[in-house]
Amino acid sequence: MTENEYIGGLQNHNANAYGRLLDDFQQKVFATCISFVPNKEDAEDIAQDVFVEVFNSIGKFKGNSKLSTWIYRITTNKCLEFIRKRNTKKRFAFLQSITGNEIPMDKTSYFTEMNHPGVILENKEKSETLFCAINELPEAQKVVFTLHKVDGKSYQEISDITEKSVSSVESLMFRAKKNLQNTLENFYKNEN
Amino acid sequence: MDTNKNIQSKIDSTLSVMDAIETVNVSPFFKDKTMQRLFAEKEETTTVWNWFTPKLQLATLVCVVVLNVIAFPKLDDATSYDENVSEFAESYGLSASDDDTSILN
Repeated sequence: MTENEYIGGLQNHNANAYGRLLDDFQQKVFATCISFVPNKEDAEDIAQDVFVEVFNSIGKFKGNSKLSTWIYRITTNKCLEFIRKRNTKKRFAFLQSITGNEIPMDKTSYFTEMNHPGVILENKEKSETLFCAINELPEAQKVVFTLHKVDGKSYQEISDITEKSVSSVESLMFRAKKNLQNTLENFYKNEN
Repeated sequence: MDTNKNIQSKIDSTLSVMDAIETVNVSPFFKDKTMQRLFAEKEETTTVWNWFTPKLQLATLVCVVVLNVIAFPKLDDATSYDENVSEFAESYGLSASDDDTSILN
């Protein structure tokens, strides 16, 4: 099956083509999802939503970018959408409960329950702190940092996914690292 | 000074956690579940709503609007008809009051 036939099959909602798509991308999409949302169940739900979105929007895919890039773009957007929704819910719950002032980087206000099977037990607390700190970053920095440092994508791949130049990706990465350093510094100072 | 060094080492060890995260495999049933969801949704949309094309939707909307436009002036006629009937019933003593129809009387 050539690339064009494959994409044609996806556009005609051919079950074999979707079987191949899932074989090729289920692990990659899931890996990206769990990098953003460190909870296995949530990450699987988002990954499923990604494939449903691909199914519904494949007609709009014009082949201007690689299929993989287009799928990763959908994945990133779905993850951000999930985080935004969860953060709003948490903020609303916080306002309702009125339990006191929110301290910076309060772990209880984190959008999901940490359940990442890839994190070893002794690193669990540090990972929670790190994911909370990443969640505090502005969205563009969060995307670049997560895709590069957690998901292990190259600057070129991130540049294609985010439709930004490699130099802006590098600059976002630099700012993300700086902000993370500050957030973690404040966190550990408050802890002492 | 020592505290700052201590904090920096904590930050470094927190950041190094990323390198120790192991790959997590997707659940073995993920493909089947997703395929089921994709093609269940497709069947539903094609079989239930496929016949209701945008042209038909527009025609239905026009019908509803036209029926409403025709029916609205008729509302006035209906009220005058009711008045005439009740007037006729009153003049011939055919109007039924609550007292007349009560079984207790």
